[in-house]
Amino acid sequence: MDAIQINQVTKTYRVGATQTHALDHINLTIGEGEFTALVGPSGSGKTTLLQMIGCLDKPDQGTVLIKGQDVTRLNSNQRADLRRSSIGFVFQFFALVPVLTAYENVELPLLLNGMKTSERRTRVMELLDAVGLADRAHHRPDQLSGGQQQRVAIARALGPRPVLVLADEPTANLDTANGHQAMEIMQRLNQETGTAFVYATHDPRVIAFARRVVKMEDGKIIDSP
Amino acid sequence: MLSKLWILAYRDLGRNRRRTILSMVAVALGLGLLILMNGYIAGVMDESIQNNIRLNTGHLQIRASAYTEGEMSLAWPDLLRDPEVLAAHAATLPGVRGAAPVLWAGGVIATPNDSLGIQVTGIDTTSTIYAPIREALVGGEFLNPDDRNGIMIGRRLAGELGLAVGSNVSLTVVDSDGNADEGVFTVRGIFHTGIPTYDQGSVLMPLAKAQAFARTERRASAVIIMLDDNQALETVRTALRSPDLQLLSWEDMNRLFIETMQTGLAFYYILDGIVMLIVAVIIANTLLMSVFERIREMGILSALGMKGRHLTQMLLLEAACMGLAGIAIGLALGLSSVAYLTYVGIAIGDIASVAGDSIALGSTIHARFVPETFAGLSIATFIFVLLAALYPAWYASRLEPVVALRG
Repeated sequence: MDAIQINQVTKTYRVGATQTHALDHINLTIGEGEFTALVGPSGSGKTTLLQMIGCLDKPDQGTVLIKGQDVTRLNSNQRADLRRSSIGFVFQFFALVPVLTAYENVELPLLLNGMKTSERRTRVMELLDAVGLADRAHHRPDQLSGGQQQRVAIARALGPRPVLVLADEPTANLDTANGHQAMEIMQRLNQETGTAFVYATHDPRVIAFARRVVKMEDGKIIDSP
Repeated sequence: MLSKLWILAYRDLGRNRRRTILSMVAVALGLGLLILMNGYIAGVMDESIQNNIRLNTGHLQIRASAYTEGEMSLAWPDLLRDPEVLAAHAATLPGVRGAAPVLWAGGVIATPNDSLGIQVTGIDTTSTIYAPIREALVGGEFLNPDDRNGIMIGRRLAGELGLAVGSNVSLTVVDSDGNADEGVFTVRGIFHTGIPTYDQGSVLMPLAKAQAFARTERRASAVIIMLDDNQALETVRTALRSPDLQLLSWEDMNRLFIETMQTGLAFYYILDGIVMLIVAVIIANTLLMSVFERIREMGILSALGMKGRHLTQMLLLEAACMGLAGIAIGLALGLSSVAYLTYVGIAIGDIASVAGDSIALGSTIHARFVPETFAGLSIATFIFVLLAALYPAWYASRLEPVVALRG
């Protein structure tokens, strides 16, 4: 079964009398374990598409199926449940909760999923170890570099063993070395866990990591191998 | 999950410490003020009633059924015929500390230079119920039962008329026949109860002399009964009940004062409400500011799968943390202020004398600990703080993740 199936998804934003077609009849399928880059210039609809896939927003038309389930029919609580159990997020800004330590940030979605304490402790340390930050577990975000914060975010996204991880411009605020390291980690974890990764970018060095590249322009998919 | 939300809430409060501390201080000052106000008003009420019981009314009075409160009538049908018998019977009842007949008469005290209206009170000088007067003596000696021309007066009255122990004064009363009777009396003792209205307006003399002076024979205005405590009141009242007698409790005799104070309390309740409302607005503002500053973070928490109810819980916990800390400080502030006013008091001097005869305020007013009221105020403050957090919490819970993530 495909991890994601998008059918005729349309999203239009209205600002006053002006209408902007952020997504225009998009069709896309992403298989399990894929490592896919959504590529396109600013305003091409990459972020909006990730938001639709991530159940953060609803399309005006069309359907989004995750593991065969039509998520456009779900209410806000059901979408929150789905995000909690099946979708991981990595944002452009290092979206950690500033008052929690690295350990607690990774632990948070596991807590929301009701994982037992001992299992949770093992899982958090396993993930922090996987991103090379086990020794920084009890540091707060303001005590970590940008690259380290993004690696914590990657660990957090993978905590509940999701079907897919969505990353919106994950390296945009990182220098080349840290950006490269973050992408290597994502690529390795994709291979080790079989979790599908979909990331938006317009950086050619980051696009090079993808096994599949989907090109977007003006809210449409112009190339999808 | 709740433990993590507690941690989140607690640490969120530390982000803007100054704002959090100021909000806690607002809660603390609000509650401290409420405790102080309520402790003070309870003290005024309690002290005034206790003073009145101690010096004027006793816990229970037996009067003739025709006697009218406030008139101080000396007409025989208005007086008790066998007051000693009634007092002796009352004194045998369980829970009664003392019982004694008393005769009241309106009169005028005069010196060669001045005269003042006073209340003449004929007392059983051997009775224990006058221990407070005995303890309040500041000059001379307590009256003997067989003293035929001795009186005791308050220090304020002595001061106003320039009298001292041994001074002679003229007393005039309208006797039971309606004739003015005058006599010369010697000041044997001067007392200072601390109650300006009592110290200024009372002249005490032995009951037998008062009865002779007012021509009431062995009659008395009332029998005053002091109880060990209030619990015995109804039992004693029932035991003494008789068709030709009135039995008035201290509540009956202080009804005007109690009703006045209860009306005044309504004003205090409004004031309590206003203070709590101000505290609530400050808390709501603090939390709303905090939500506005963290909108993107709320979006992240939503993206991680946190539901609106979790965000609501988190904000309520923040309010609870702030509220509990503020309440703890407020309790400390309020209780220490009440403790100071209870043990030291506020000297109000002569202001008490203008309060009227029905309010036996001392020249120093003390507060009183009312644990149940203070607990109620603390709980009410906590509820107000939580109610104040509802709007910010509702606002946070309604945020669309995609909108929140844009900040």
